[in-house]
Amino acid sequence: MNDFSVEAIGLTKYFGDFKAVDDVSLTVPTGSIYGVLGPNGAGKTTSLRMTLGIIDPDEGSSRIFGARPQSVRHRIGYLPEERGLYPGMKAREAIAFMGALRGLDWSEGRRRAATFMTELGLERVIDEKIRKMSKGMAQMIQLIGSIVHAPDLIVLDEPFSGLDPVNQERLEMLVRRERDRGATVLFSTHVMAHAERLCDRLAIIARSQRRFEGTVDDARSLLPMQVRYTARADADAGSIAALLPTGAEPRGDSWLFPIEDADVEPLLARITGSGLGVAGLSITRPALHDAFVHIVRQVDASFDADAGTDAVEEALA
Amino acid sequence: MTPFLKNMLVIARRDFLAIVATPTFLLFLLAPLFMVGMGLAGGMGASQLADSARGAGRIVAVVGADDVEALRAADARLRASVARRVPVLEVRIASPANTDPVAIAREKGSDTYAVLSGPLTAPRIVEREADSNAGRYLALLADDVLRSKAAGPLPPVAPKYEALASGGSSIALQQSLGFGAVFIIFLLTLLLAGQTVSSLAEEKGNKVIEILAAAVPLESVFLGKLLGFLGVAVLFIAFWLVMALAGGLIAALQIDPAALASMQNASKAAAALTAAPATGWPFFLGMGFVYFILSFLLLGAVFLGVGAQAATVREIQMLSLPITIFQVGMFSLSTAAASAPGSSLSTIAQIFPLSSPLAMAARAATDDSKVVHLLALGWQAIWVALVIFVSVRLFRAGVLSGGSSWKFWRKTTRG
Repeated sequence: MNDFSVEAIGLTKYFGDFKAVDDVSLTVPTGSIYGVLGPNGAGKTTSLRMTLGIIDPDEGSSRIFGARPQSVRHRIGYLPEERGLYPGMKAREAIAFMGALRGLDWSEGRRRAATFMTELGLERVIDEKIRKMSKGMAQMIQLIGSIVHAPDLIVLDEPFSGLDPVNQERLEMLVRRERDRGATVLFSTHVMAHAERLCDRLAIIARSQRRFEGTVDDARSLLPMQVRYTARADADAGSIAALLPTGAEPRGDSWLFPIEDADVEPLLARITGSGLGVAGLSITRPALHDAFVHIVRQVDASFDADAGTDAVEEALA
Repeated sequence: MTPFLKNMLVIARRDFLAIVATPTFLLFLLAPLFMVGMGLAGGMGASQLADSARGAGRIVAVVGADDVEALRAADARLRASVARRVPVLEVRIASPANTDPVAIAREKGSDTYAVLSGPLTAPRIVEREADSNAGRYLALLADDVLRSKAAGPLPPVAPKYEALASGGSSIALQQSLGFGAVFIIFLLTLLLAGQTVSSLAEEKGNKVIEILAAAVPLESVFLGKLLGFLGVAVLFIAFWLVMALAGGLIAALQIDPAALASMQNASKAAAALTAAPATGWPFFLGMGFVYFILSFLLLGAVFLGVGAQAATVREIQMLSLPITIFQVGMFSLSTAAASAPGSSLSTIAQIFPLSSPLAMAARAATDDSKVVHLLALGWQAIWVALVIFVSVRLFRAGVLSGGSSWKFWRKTTRG
């Protein structure tokens, strides 16, 4: 078995004259949880579709388990970004149908559907028609449908959007459990909190290109650590400013500034020696969110991380 | 079973159940009842009209009193031998009061087709229409009366009729069998295959198409859908076949066998039944069914492919007219071919893929070679596959890649 479940190299797609995806490569180690992050419209969905062979790339190629994606369909589970189920089908049938498409027995599919739904607190609606369900419920049904055949590769496109915090938590649990079963999970999101908690590795796509690839820690260490320092109350601002590196900003009683790894100990020595005292001091790696915004801003100056729904979803997560 | 077939059956099963397990399907299934009902009502009305009109029609002969008996006898003799239906003969004795045939012809209360008056050797015949059968018939009567008067009483001819037990089928009957096959296959495909045009609209509307496209080859989605619709069509046909058989059986039990037998002797339909198609009944019926399936698959595949490109329900509705007209075109081509077996037109109709099933079904009625049908079935099956192949390519390149605003006449993807 190959070490990589997914090897998509140099994927490129044009929509008319617009280059929707430009030379994006995704290599996903077997047995890992891999996140594809990016702002809306960056090309995440198109990249995933090309990776799965649903649409053909104009350039580049995709191999899954070392083979053409089309030849290993039964080992893949996929939750598309645009959710869709037959509204007239009952939940149990819908799940069994999706399993049957991937080669699972109907009866086994129905049995597993009931098990999954009970686990996820959906036992009330097992024999309910999809059209009677809330959007979030239908999404959970579709999610179960995409993993009911116990695939070796699970691809989820924006799986968390549209779910309430309880279901988001359940989904995270499900993703970890599938990974522990031995499956490889590839998912896209624009909500950093999930990626930070779940991902073993991640890629950041912005403006059609892959801008970063590595672990969560790799991403966070792109930015210098942040220091938040609060002096004893009687110190005057001028002497504090003189002590700290240039670029330190006062924020209330505190001062904020970035710091290189090598400068941490000298700074501590200077603070201790200055006699200004320490009422508060924290030196932290920036969150994935900051690294993400940093990366995206480099190519898209107008990107606003706190815009509208993103901020709300971020808060929920 | 190969995975491809399995996928196809999963899709077909879903579509079949989704169509059949709805109350609307019952309406669809029973729709021909409306047609039959309307047909019955219309037919009854028309036949009543015809009956009343027929009762009123007459021909009139105004003759001398001594000719009346001979005239009536001649009418009784000749009436049975004249192929056309002759109106009732009214014989009047000539008198000064009623010598004007024009006045008689214009009498109200009945349709008078012709009036004979004057001496039988040189009768004056007034006709409603020039050269009418009624006029000729009156002349014939006069002639017969004169001949029997001149020759005196003759012994009646006592013919003994013998029918050829199996005289073979006439070419005209075989051709009409072929025409019947074309018509039935056309009608069924017209009623049933057109539905496929909207079948992918459902998946595009509720976004299931991406699940399908990711999980199984699109070819099996398309073929599975066709198969599902074919299942519905076969169910529909089977239902009505059973209804017709049951109806026939009940009718046969209700009607007196003797009456049935005499009716059969008279009717032309019975003559058609005794006529066999050139390839024999079992082969002809079997091939008819197989050709129906291929005709359905071919047209269904074309419609499915075209409908898959349509972006909205309105576009699908707009497409249904050209599609129906196209079907009627195939029908006319095939009927033309059926009425001229062996002509180059019929060869064209048999080779052109979309009319081939119809034309070949007609050929089974008139031509007894059977191998050619295997060839035709293979040829048509190749075209089904080809149409599906092309539809899937177009669908992949267009609809899936370009999002929902894609139109098939505007290429937005590069390469």
